[in-house]
Amino acid sequence: MTRKAKQRVLHILLYMVLTVIAVIALFPLFYIILASFRTDEEIFKYALPFTIHTIVPVEWTFENYRIIFTEFSFWRPMLNTLLVVCILVPVNLLVASLAGYSFAFFDFRWKGALFAVFIISFMVPTDSIALPLYSLISGMGLVNKFAALILPSVSSGLAMFLFTQFFRGIPKDLLEAGRVDGANWGQVFFKIIVPLSVPVFITAGLMIFVNEWNNYLWPLLVTRSEEVRTIQVALAYFKDENETFWSYIYAAASISAIVPVALFLPLQKYFVQGVTSSGVKG
Amino acid sequence: MGEHHEAVTADAALIRKQRARKRMGKCLPYLMLLPALGFILVFKIYPVISVSVESFFRDGEFTFRTYQILFSDKTFWNSLWTTLKMNIVMIPLQVVVSFILALLVNNMVAGIGVFRSIYYLPVTMAISVASVTWNLMMNVNNGVFNSLLSLAGIESQGFFTDAKQALWCIVVMATWKGCGYWMMYLLAGLKGVDQSLYESATLDGASYFTTLRKITLPLISRAMLFVIVANTTANMLLFAPSKLITEGGPQNSTNVLMYEVYKSAFRNSNMSRAGAITTILLVIIIVTVVLQFRMMNKTDE
Repeated sequence: MTRKAKQRVLHILLYMVLTVIAVIALFPLFYIILASFRTDEEIFKYALPFTIHTIVPVEWTFENYRIIFTEFSFWRPMLNTLLVVCILVPVNLLVASLAGYSFAFFDFRWKGALFAVFIISFMVPTDSIALPLYSLISGMGLVNKFAALILPSVSSGLAMFLFTQFFRGIPKDLLEAGRVDGANWGQVFFKIIVPLSVPVFITAGLMIFVNEWNNYLWPLLVTRSEEVRTIQVALAYFKDENETFWSYIYAAASISAIVPVALFLPLQKYFVQGVTSSGVKG
Repeated sequence: MGEHHEAVTADAALIRKQRARKRMGKCLPYLMLLPALGFILVFKIYPVISVSVESFFRDGEFTFRTYQILFSDKTFWNSLWTTLKMNIVMIPLQVVVSFILALLVNNMVAGIGVFRSIYYLPVTMAISVASVTWNLMMNVNNGVFNSLLSLAGIESQGFFTDAKQALWCIVVMATWKGCGYWMMYLLAGLKGVDQSLYESATLDGASYFTTLRKITLPLISRAMLFVIVANTTANMLLFAPSKLITEGGPQNSTNVLMYEVYKSAFRNSNMSRAGAITTILLVIIIVTVVLQFRMMNKTDE
């Protein structure tokens, strides 16, 4: 076999492997979305033997979607979650980028120790401290309030870490040039650093959004009533005393899954750039 | 002479200005850190300390009683073993799969960006939604997995309802959901490797796997250890599938420690037990993280 032919075979093999993994990655997503357009009986009826209708609906129905919005007011947890995210993303980005700016460009006492505190706190996942955090929030009288959903999430170590790493890659000369031109540190930040860091702002923003949209344990603990319940917690409420309405859950789960995907796809170029340029280099 | 004098005063003014700037510059970094630090202290560090301290107190007295009760409790030991068993399999599995994915999407061929995005999509799915989906797909009676198995002439499997399979089904699901995330960080590491190193290795006649072992792995060791550490902390706490799909069963086979915490605290109102288990989980996590960091520093030297 010539070298060229060998390379072509390798190419075809590579695409085959890539495609098989892509199918595995996508299948559950497609499956739940298709299941949300059919009745429970239909899913059951066509399970065996395996045909195309094991996966694809025979009779498409929008009933599940209609009912979760009309009878179960699913728009409410969606709006609640959006409200939390809309406050959290900008606040979190500001807090984390300022900290990153400080770590990347300034020298000060205790810098190493403070950075270690940040890294360790980033390594201790929020879920592990859910219990003491609950006592704290409950002591502050914030249970079942939006503040309880927002406050503990502001200290995102991950966003801070991404910003610090990314800012470290920006040449210091650029800042000094700005300083010589008479700009103060605030102007340097907003006029020089921020415009250069769009990918990492998008990456961190996207991560904060997705984390919060998908957050499960913490909202489960601190939301008691419908008024503040978030989308992931609401998934568990499609039932009455006797029955769980699985088809409604599939519809709600599909909506929950589609929103981050719809945000991620148009922004994925920045996202890859953001992670690779700020990520842990070799 | 006059000119010289003027220059001196101008210099003095400049120096004063620079000093003022410097003083300002001294406070500024702390001021900018303050909001982040404040939130971390109140909502991260304080809870960690308070839960550990409180687990040693009962009715205001220092005691090991909570731990004594816990350590004589068979459910706790079973749960600890389940958690460790799950992670001993899951962490290496996820790291290896993520590394293979990163190597695959690091090939610069047409359309590779699309594959990269597709592999990341499961990450954007909530664990609660993933649980609902996999529970549906792995249903004993009408799940699509059993339909596919019947095509191959294999009889229906119990999956989440089988005490022997349930934990491993959770591992498969979590691996499907998690690997795209770690892939991104490993890809970042691979992108930082100087391409010319590969070229010279190929010229020297090194095989693909030799290059992988001798060049790629040592050069991405930082990214690799970051992934191992972060993966460990994330997976030790995975409990949503146990709560949503199996409720710890069948026969307690998926009763992980974090689910014990949840049940103790919010179903049985046994806060001291929940606090003690949380402390143990934190100790396991912190010890693991410290060990990994030391390894990271060693490989740096």
